[in-house]
Amino acid sequence: MILNDLPDYFLVDLPPEATLTPTVVSDACETLKRNRRQYLVDRPTETLLRTLGLVAEKWLDREYPIRQIAMEHGEQMSGFPRYNIEKGLDSLFRGITQEALNHLILQDLGHVRRIDHPTSGDAETRTGRKSFAVGPELIAHVTGGVIPNPVITSMVLGLLARSAQFIKCARKTSFLPRLFAHSIYETDPKLGACLEIAEWVGGDDQLETPLFRAADCVTAMGSDQTIEALETRLPKQTRFIPYGHRVSFSYVTKAGLEDCNPRVLAEQIVDDVVQWNQNGCLSPHVVYVEKGTTPSPDRLAQLIADEFVRRETSEPRGSISDREAATIANRRRLYEIRAANSQDTLIWKSRDSTEWTVVFDNEPRFQQSCANRFLYVKAVDALEDALGGADEMIGKVSCVGLCASLHEAQKTVERLARWGVTRVCPIGKMQHPSIAWRHDGRLSLGELMTWTDWEL
Amino acid sequence: MEPLLRLNSFAEHLGSLIDSAADRSFADADISDECFEGLALELFRLQVAANPCYRRLIEYSQVDPILVASWREIPCVPTAAFKELDMTSLPEDSRPYVFRSSGTTQSNRGKHFHFDASLALYEKSLLAWFRHHVIRGLGNDSSLCIMTPSARSVPESSLVHMFDVVRRAGGFRSAEFYGDVSIDGGWGLPVERLVLALGEWCRAGVPVLLVGTAFNFVQLLDCLTERGERLVLPNGSRLLETGGYKGRTRELAKGDLYREICVALGVSSDQIVSEYGMSELSSQAYDHCIGTDLDASVPRRFRFTPWSRGLVVSPETGLEVGLGETGLIQVFDLANVWSVMAIQTEDLGVRHRDGIELLGRAELAEAKGCSLMPKL
Repeated sequence: MILNDLPDYFLVDLPPEATLTPTVVSDACETLKRNRRQYLVDRPTETLLRTLGLVAEKWLDREYPIRQIAMEHGEQMSGFPRYNIEKGLDSLFRGITQEALNHLILQDLGHVRRIDHPTSGDAETRTGRKSFAVGPELIAHVTGGVIPNPVITSMVLGLLARSAQFIKCARKTSFLPRLFAHSIYETDPKLGACLEIAEWVGGDDQLETPLFRAADCVTAMGSDQTIEALETRLPKQTRFIPYGHRVSFSYVTKAGLEDCNPRVLAEQIVDDVVQWNQNGCLSPHVVYVEKGTTPSPDRLAQLIADEFVRRETSEPRGSISDREAATIANRRRLYEIRAANSQDTLIWKSRDSTEWTVVFDNEPRFQQSCANRFLYVKAVDALEDALGGADEMIGKVSCVGLCASLHEAQKTVERLARWGVTRVCPIGKMQHPSIAWRHDGRLSLGELMTWTDWEL
Repeated sequence: MEPLLRLNSFAEHLGSLIDSAADRSFADADISDECFEGLALELFRLQVAANPCYRRLIEYSQVDPILVASWREIPCVPTAAFKELDMTSLPEDSRPYVFRSSGTTQSNRGKHFHFDASLALYEKSLLAWFRHHVIRGLGNDSSLCIMTPSARSVPESSLVHMFDVVRRAGGFRSAEFYGDVSIDGGWGLPVERLVLALGEWCRAGVPVLLVGTAFNFVQLLDCLTERGERLVLPNGSRLLETGGYKGRTRELAKGDLYREICVALGVSSDQIVSEYGMSELSSQAYDHCIGTDLDASVPRRFRFTPWSRGLVVSPETGLEVGLGETGLIQVFDLANVWSVMAIQTEDLGVRHRDGIELLGRAELAEAKGCSLMPKL
């Protein structure tokens, strides 16, 4: 199967010369709502999960034609190297099983049948109630980037909520979500009929007004400015679920470093950086390392640099834009001159390219990386130094990759949580959240639902 | 001889070269490539000896100054380094003047230190190239209108200092600053007063040399639009625009800005010259000489002084890009005698045979949640 063999089913499949109009968008929304009433709203959880599990299984099969299209054209269409797409999608689809989706519903809604009919959990039985969770009629997803996983996850959550979904992708970002939509359609056309996917430049009032009028829930991913601007354009009663600018970092405690093999730790750190070229909200910008043990923080930085050298051949970064490369070149030069004039800074970098850069710094201030394998390693005395250094990012940190010994891990997580971190995971796993992950600290399925309490 | 004394005598020699090139109106190969090469390598070695921060960079980079064979190989200092290090050969007690780059706080503004001799060389350098591109052929009955605050109110702005040097050099019927500084230090432009003055010069038929930042021009255009007015500047009028909005309200692409200026002020686009400069440099580049034909079908190209060179390098390899290719702009400015001659800017440009096409800042790539935008 090649790209052109996909059936013209979604708006995004139309040839480039076809122009979207407000009527096309509002008609599509009406069709979606009708199809939801007919094919989705009464579908039992069990059969829905079976279908979604089946779709995920297909994606994990290397011979699956739609997966092959993703792998063949993914690099060109998304800008990410093939191994990024492969690892990213495999990790995502391995997590979409009937069992995992059951756990997600149980976790977020307290009962696996909660969306099928009114049910009672323990507490409800004791208080003489049943309750029923109802999803939005039509969700409009406004996606912001080229990383496919959050978009595909949103689509799965929307289906679990029994909502019709219109996925509005930013220009040139629809490729992988589009293939996922086709895999749903191919597996179960009636389910596919409850999805629409289109692509236009964000902020187009003509097309977005009918969409936002028709949707009772809008999710959005993007920069804080995009999200702020979008919110002002929504009708007041519309449920709005924003996912704004987030960053991540890693933290290595002294005891954690003593307990692990530092070379393996360096590999895991690089795994987190390499996936999605360090451009996602789960990508670490900084690795904080506690001082006072062996290897020292700067020695760990050196090991990370050694690992980047190995990846140059096994997992090369690929080309980046002139602007991105220029930013790296300028930052490198600045840190070189700092390193030349201060013993607190060290820098390692690839030769004759901007492929990777590691900057070691004794100063704990959090520094946003310019991405594309540009990593800061910062030495600190204790967690409080790192959190103090990152205070400008409070509320903006998505994930902390943690390397700590067992006895101190819980206390560290408690401190991170109170500071505002919403996800902590082992280093090396930052890019692979569970499908049940509470994205930005909120219930991802639960947030879509509206509850009806039935007092018996 | 002491390194500083050697820099002083280098500056004297360069000053006389600038004078003689300007006297000949840059007509012939005033500073040949060979001559530039020799001077650049000499200055590089002097600066390694005299400028401690730069010397440490050279040592750290394991570059042997003696083995550097071409000015293109001279290690550059990024403009950002001026923010945190004292990039100067001048002793701490001999830096009476400083130009600061734009920025919101003192700590994130670059510092370029000067003393009397460096200021004199800066003035000689800027005036020669400014006259050649902007003033040549302008009658001495014209009026200079400067849209920035005065040099007295913003003494640390190299741009304003430049305009002040032009003003003091004379040759105008009148010359005045029209901008002011607000309590928070921001630059303002009381546009009404400027519009009144321009209206008067128009009625009197006095050619105007109107200079300012791109943002100044936007302010002027907005005011004229609000008043529903258009001006037709008298024949022979000239405009100098220099980049920079500094995050102000309305930004316009350069082509759009020029089109709007032409309509609102009744000038043609070849009467507008664009300047490229920065506080870390002592020489500027211009995109054409007013009065010469400008090929409107191609993007404007900036040319540096004969005593400075712009180089477009690949950010990947650091080597000069091919013709028509994009890269980072480096400037090698011999008039930066007491600081650092080799500067790496944060701007992207396209290398052309006849100059550099400016593409603007290489913005820092910012990860925006999961919103990495594709390369369009």
